[in-house]
Amino acid sequence: MKKILLILVIIACMFSAGCISNPYEDIDWPLTLVGADGTEKILSVSEIAALPSVSGHGYAVSTVGIKYGPYEITGVPLIELLNQVGGVHEGQTVHVSAADGYLWVFSYEQLMGEDLLCLDANLKEMKTPAKMTPILMYAADGKPYPYDDGGPLRMATMTAEPDVITEGSLWVKWVDRIEVHG
Amino acid sequence: MKKSLFTAVVLLVLLIFLCSGCIAGEKTVVKVVPAGSLLLPLEEIEQEYEALHPEIDIQIEGHGSIQAIRQVTDLNRPIDLIVVADASLIPDMMYREGPVGVNYTDWYTPFARNEMVLAFTPESAYADEITRDNWYEILARDEVKVGFSNPTLDASGYRALIMMMLAEEQLNLPGLFNTVIGDSFKPALMVNKTENGSILELPVLMQPESGSKVTIRDSSLFLLNLLESGGIDYAFDYKSVAIGQGLRYVELPAEINLGDEAFAENYDNATVYLGFQRFATIGNKRTGLPIVYAVTIPYNAPEPEEAEKFLAFMLAAFSEGGEGYPAPL
Repeated sequence: MKKILLILVIIACMFSAGCISNPYEDIDWPLTLVGADGTEKILSVSEIAALPSVSGHGYAVSTVGIKYGPYEITGVPLIELLNQVGGVHEGQTVHVSAADGYLWVFSYEQLMGEDLLCLDANLKEMKTPAKMTPILMYAADGKPYPYDDGGPLRMATMTAEPDVITEGSLWVKWVDRIEVHG
Repeated sequence: MKKSLFTAVVLLVLLIFLCSGCIAGEKTVVKVVPAGSLLLPLEEIEQEYEALHPEIDIQIEGHGSIQAIRQVTDLNRPIDLIVVADASLIPDMMYREGPVGVNYTDWYTPFARNEMVLAFTPESAYADEITRDNWYEILARDEVKVGFSNPTLDASGYRALIMMMLAEEQLNLPGLFNTVIGDSFKPALMVNKTENGSILELPVLMQPESGSKVTIRDSSLFLLNLLESGGIDYAFDYKSVAIGQGLRYVELPAEINLGDEAFAENYDNATVYLGFQRFATIGNKRTGLPIVYAVTIPYNAPEPEEAEKFLAFMLAAFSEGGEGYPAPL
């Protein structure tokens, strides 16, 4: 009887653990961070999701005017993520590359939320909102970011205010390597 | 009697279904991925084609030319037609073996050409003074603001730089490139003049100094919005785009405007190296070439027969031309 009870308790624990388990645990997508001095660190999506995160609004537009979003996005500010490999400083650049062979380069100022363009619903330039934060996004609208949309890890520009459209060129899909140069 | 009545009712219901919207959901989709500068004419062509062929749904998804090709070569998406603003990209990027052992494509059809112009509005500084003969003097004035697309993202961006490099050489205007563009960067962009022509190596970050003469935006869409709102006075862009947007423009000499095959050897004298290699599948060297549009059907087109029919219709429409269409070849 005790044995059966024990088994039932274990099963109950497994079920309850499953219900609240980390949804990023099974995602096989290692991210390589490389610091300016060559320090390398590999993080899983689950480890990234366990870091202090931020949430806000995300809304992008492609170079030909296709809008993506708006979403409620969650991720780790890139400037903070890079502290894992020594940080990034003024005058340095950050090269974000993707599994599909794509590369984009960010300036230090952009990671600090400067030199970023934002647009209104008619794609006219508007005054930059108080806070814009380039993040490595792993969730949108409360769910892990899907592969078909560029997940599980995608660069995004998070804004504190809603309905602010940002440049899609910075929203690198399928990010798998981030290097600090300079 | 009852049986024949039942059969008649069934046939009537079937007929109503076929004639009604029930078959609308079964349209054959033809997926077309064109360069951004073709979106305006292609939307018109799409509407005309669908009116003639209600069973076909032409779906258009614009990208930059390189990104358009990458949808097939790097992302393995099933696309029926690829239409680009630089014919040379198709052999460069698609004449190679794909995942099933055949080339992504083995052919392309060039069908239109374009040229670089200076687009402006009636509110632009010296709008009533600028002409084909004095445009470089106007651009060189301190208070005049100019803009172009980011050369790393948009072919019209590196074509603007190539055009200005050619202007300095071909029109014998020493210092023009730096006065209008190069000096707005820190350090200044420097054109290296060699036996093989002019070479410009761009920095990793294309960021002009704040408050300088030059503004860069991701693409024509944002650049021309900025022009229309008065943020800049003149934008380097394609002639068809300027016309399509209802903007005024100055035509530039054929020796430098990248629009005339007869000057292809001249154009070849200017080369831009982008600051970094954005795509693993294509390098960062861009040399001056006549601007020629081309189309192909990739090996994995889901509807190759319908794609061919739409292609024939599209080519006929471009050969006829229209407002905002690049000129037929």
